[in-house]
Amino acid sequence: MMTRFNHLPTLKINTGDKIPFTYKGKTFYGVKGDTIATALYANGVRIYARSLKYHRPRGLYSMNGECSNTMMEVNGIPNVRTETTYLKPGMVIKEQNVKGSAENDLLGFIDKMDWAMPAGFYYDTMHKPAKIWPVAMKQIRKAAGIGKLSPDHHMPGKYDEIFPTCDVCVIGGGHAGMKAALAAAQKGLRVILMEARPWLGGDFEYRTSEYLDSQTHHERAVQLAKEVEKTENIRVFTHTANVGTYNNNLVTGFQIGKESDSFTERYIELRANSVVVATGCIERPLLFENNERPGVMQAGCALRLANTYGMLPGKTAVFSIGHDLGLETAATLHDLGLSIPVIADIREDGQDPKLLKAVLDRKITILKGWVATEAHGSKQVKKVTIKSVDATVSKTFDCDVLVASAGFTPLTGPLVINQAKLTYDNHTNFFLPTDLPKKMYAAGRLLGFENAESIEASGHLAGLKAAYDCENCSIAELGDAKKAMETLPGPARGTKLITAPVKGRKTFICFDEDVSIKNIKQSINKGFDVPELIKRFSGAGLGPGQGGIPGHNLPLFTAKYQALPDIRIKPTTVRPPLVPTLIATYAGTNHTMFKRTPMDEMQRKDGGIFRNIGVWQRARYFSKDFTCKKEIENVRNNVGMLDGSTLGKFRIHGPDALNALQRVYVSDLSKIKEGRVKYTAMCNDDGCVIDDGVVVKLGENDYYFSTSTGRAGQTIEWIRYHTRYENWDFALVNLTDAMGVINLSGPNARKVLEKVVDIDVSNEGFGFSEYKEFTIADTIPVKAMRLGFVGELSYELHVPASYMKSLWLMLNEAGKEFNIQNFGVEAQNVLRMEKCHVILGQESEQRTNLLDIGMGFLWSRKKTGYKTVGVAALIQAEKDNNRLKLVGFKMENNGRAPKDGALIVDDRVLGHVCTARNSFSLNEAVGMALVQGDMSKIGTRLAFYEDECNGELIYGTVVETPFYDPEGKRMKM
Amino acid sequence: MKDIKRYSAVEFKATPLKNQKRGDWDVVLEYHGEGEGPWLVDLSHRTRLDLQSSDLATKKPFGITIPETPCRSVLEKGMLLNRMNRIQTSIYHLDGETIDIPEEKEYTDVTEATIFVAIFGSRVFSVCEKLSNLDFAGENKQTPFLFQGPFSHVPCQIVTLSREAEKSGVVLTCSRGYGKHMIDGILHAGEEFGLTPAGEARFTSWINNL
Repeated sequence: MMTRFNHLPTLKINTGDKIPFTYKGKTFYGVKGDTIATALYANGVRIYARSLKYHRPRGLYSMNGECSNTMMEVNGIPNVRTETTYLKPGMVIKEQNVKGSAENDLLGFIDKMDWAMPAGFYYDTMHKPAKIWPVAMKQIRKAAGIGKLSPDHHMPGKYDEIFPTCDVCVIGGGHAGMKAALAAAQKGLRVILMEARPWLGGDFEYRTSEYLDSQTHHERAVQLAKEVEKTENIRVFTHTANVGTYNNNLVTGFQIGKESDSFTERYIELRANSVVVATGCIERPLLFENNERPGVMQAGCALRLANTYGMLPGKTAVFSIGHDLGLETAATLHDLGLSIPVIADIREDGQDPKLLKAVLDRKITILKGWVATEAHGSKQVKKVTIKSVDATVSKTFDCDVLVASAGFTPLTGPLVINQAKLTYDNHTNFFLPTDLPKKMYAAGRLLGFENAESIEASGHLAGLKAAYDCENCSIAELGDAKKAMETLPGPARGTKLITAPVKGRKTFICFDEDVSIKNIKQSINKGFDVPELIKRFSGAGLGPGQGGIPGHNLPLFTAKYQALPDIRIKPTTVRPPLVPTLIATYAGTNHTMFKRTPMDEMQRKDGGIFRNIGVWQRARYFSKDFTCKKEIENVRNNVGMLDGSTLGKFRIHGPDALNALQRVYVSDLSKIKEGRVKYTAMCNDDGCVIDDGVVVKLGENDYYFSTSTGRAGQTIEWIRYHTRYENWDFALVNLTDAMGVINLSGPNARKVLEKVVDIDVSNEGFGFSEYKEFTIADTIPVKAMRLGFVGELSYELHVPASYMKSLWLMLNEAGKEFNIQNFGVEAQNVLRMEKCHVILGQESEQRTNLLDIGMGFLWSRKKTGYKTVGVAALIQAEKDNNRLKLVGFKMENNGRAPKDGALIVDDRVLGHVCTARNSFSLNEAVGMALVQGDMSKIGTRLAFYEDECNGELIYGTVVETPFYDPEGKRMKM
Repeated sequence: MKDIKRYSAVEFKATPLKNQKRGDWDVVLEYHGEGEGPWLVDLSHRTRLDLQSSDLATKKPFGITIPETPCRSVLEKGMLLNRMNRIQTSIYHLDGETIDIPEEKEYTDVTEATIFVAIFGSRVFSVCEKLSNLDFAGENKQTPFLFQGPFSHVPCQIVTLSREAEKSGVVLTCSRGYGKHMIDGILHAGEEFGLTPAGEARFTSWINNL
């Protein structure tokens, strides 16, 4: 293991705290504060992975995780960005995308086959003759993608979520971000500051060069961070990557938990009144031959390796840079012991004189107007060729590291995904954000500022602008801040050079997809002349890093290659997530959130098998026999109890309650008598039936009604919506959860009920379709209805939810002598199907109207003046014989029932099966189907086509309905 | 047949220390190990009423004036009145003896329709923040105030009664059916902050100190 520095003030590692991990089956040690990548680097690993297409060796490049170079499998999870993932004890790290090892990859020979794989080669080849394609497709799919994960992989860890709100959100905890946060906080606003790294300070945090008056950038970063942390109304989320920004300043991100946190990762979704984006810049890759060879790295990467992680990137480094950070890095690393034979600075002039002097003082050769053109070495850099930018002179130097970057690229993602535009700026050579969304501001280095005071002033100004949005800052204060900015240096001039003078066969503009400059030229020559098209044809920017590496080089090169007079070409579209994270993080805590009925506990104890049905969990079966034979036979021959609590239940009262009911129900409800139950239905404007239920009159202008389970949540809104232009006075109260419902059904139902009630429940005392209110044991108030959905003598008991358990136990006790049993939703489904009672949604679909399913009898044609919803459409539909009709059918030759949803066909689709079962009550298979009008005649033969039937149809015949007890004697007994 | 009892949809996995029979309810006054807070208290046995009228301005339930502005609440005489919209007010009985429900038809007893819990104590809004994107801490709202919005993805009425450090707290109602999963969700979210179930006495003490 490499010796680590332990004297630098910028270090984020503790060399005394060793952390063991496993790599390729052997135990290695990193130190506390290491990322996985730095721990491996310290242990001599230089090749982390192989590239996707050509299997080229790849190594540490930027330390920002914007490419797949250092993605590895960690603890069984593929594609972990080891540059930004911190080392934990016991981690098991493996290489991926290799055949053999990253060092010796058997597929490495593909690198020499690049001539056979020009841009978009799979569009040109492998599809003529057509039979090749299925074979080729399989091979391509095998090769595509990196890493493997089992579909049933369980993600270890705790994943949480929070939804904070604030006045101002600042994205980016560098100097500009911290100044913005402080400016807004000093105005008394609630500020949230998000920073992707585990500490504040941004790119100043690891720099030991002078900030101002002998204070280093690092010291200034620490000073500002302390100020931020002690400001009560700034809430700091470190190690929190921003992943999205959306309308009205919805900002999303994810935070990596510390050891002391209760979460592994947590999703953050915050709403801010105003947002400041101060995300800074990444380095723009320099394009030259073998520009991604292990040993080639960006200046920030080399500097952070030393200053943050305490190790030099190598022994001898050549620098090929186009910015002052490169000079600063060279001076700093030289002082730490790195040998630097030469700095090739792309710029002829414009260098910071102080830095230039610092380099010359250290006797480092600097060649202005020079650039690296090729890195040599098959697996790692061994020497570098540099040339003058006009390619007239060249030199070669031995080295093991090449520090290379062309310039900077602003991280504009948070602005762009919230619809800001990017416009090319000739001075900075940046694509700068313009047309920013409302209440969103940019600050700091991403605007091109390099002067530290300017960066801070731009942050301060953005913070005040955000405060102004919150009405906590005056125009005068804004004016002062703007004036202060004007006295400071503006954005720095950016380096124009995009690519070294090379042919570009192995000059990679996109590392993830192995897309070279040559491939870009091929794409443009084929007519794909803008980045969005080039991206899709060549694959540049389609890999895991998305636009991280090709980012701004692709549009710049595209413009240059086509000799465009001005750069109107834009970078490719950026989409969230800006930083990839785990699906588990997005899922968050994922609390189960279903409704349970008041009888839930008792039914579970009785062996109920529950299913999630809409928002409810309901007992669907009470045994593992999913035909529910015993449950069905018990109801037909004895007595059963069903939990019907999920039904919608409502009270409507007030002077216009009846008007409102008449508006939405098709029946004439003015004729309801007290003590009677009225079954009716609602339609939508198209006459399509959407709900059914019963209505009872509680008193003058006071009604109680039920709806189907699925419609309960929408009923109040539906009625209010359809009465919105009337000045009607009525009140609606949702009692769905307030009232539990027990459906006591079967020929012995009366015998059970009469044991627990004091009223006369005989057929004469409590007849079919009657409604009664009474109390049980002088305590439990009951609203009872005589209904017959399952086709047997039935009592529907509506009881306050808190009493349901008590009543359930009473009925169970009373029913003991009859061996009363539960029945579930599936048994009810079969029982009512035998009776041909419909369930809306089962026997209907979106286009099915009241008449189609034979419920036209509910429609009161004499009811006028209420503008009943759907009636106008029903009048039209009544004359239409071509509509689907609901019919009953039996299977031929005592055959089995078709599957629900099976199609009814000849050479066309003529309808579908709604519900069909093998009926134990009838000893034959029966069902209901929606069929075309001309198929609805009794005796019509129906052919059923089921999924996976291989063309083997089964047959049935349309018959009279209902199948069971057609005269309805049993439910009226 | 055993005694007829009323059961809350809220069940805590904690051992009751003191109980009180109140009508058919068995109310837990104190649990073992209630800790230092924050606390979660089941108030489902406490009466809630729905008042709907096109003329709310003339109504004075229990002698209390209904706030004029939707989403404003008023806490008086142990009653919490929450103006929901133009025509509707929810009424929660928080403290004191059993109330007589007004006989006017405009009132509906909705005690059974919802669960009713209080979450209070320090860091209560850190718990809330994990379950809802509603802004409980926004300075532009004066306590008590009503939110009608999502909490753990479920539509709720949530009334913030106090934002004063240790006294911070909210009361919350949601459809009774969600009771079990809502409580599971709240307790899970509050685990890292030490949220524990507490009895009604803890709530009474809190409400009387507001």
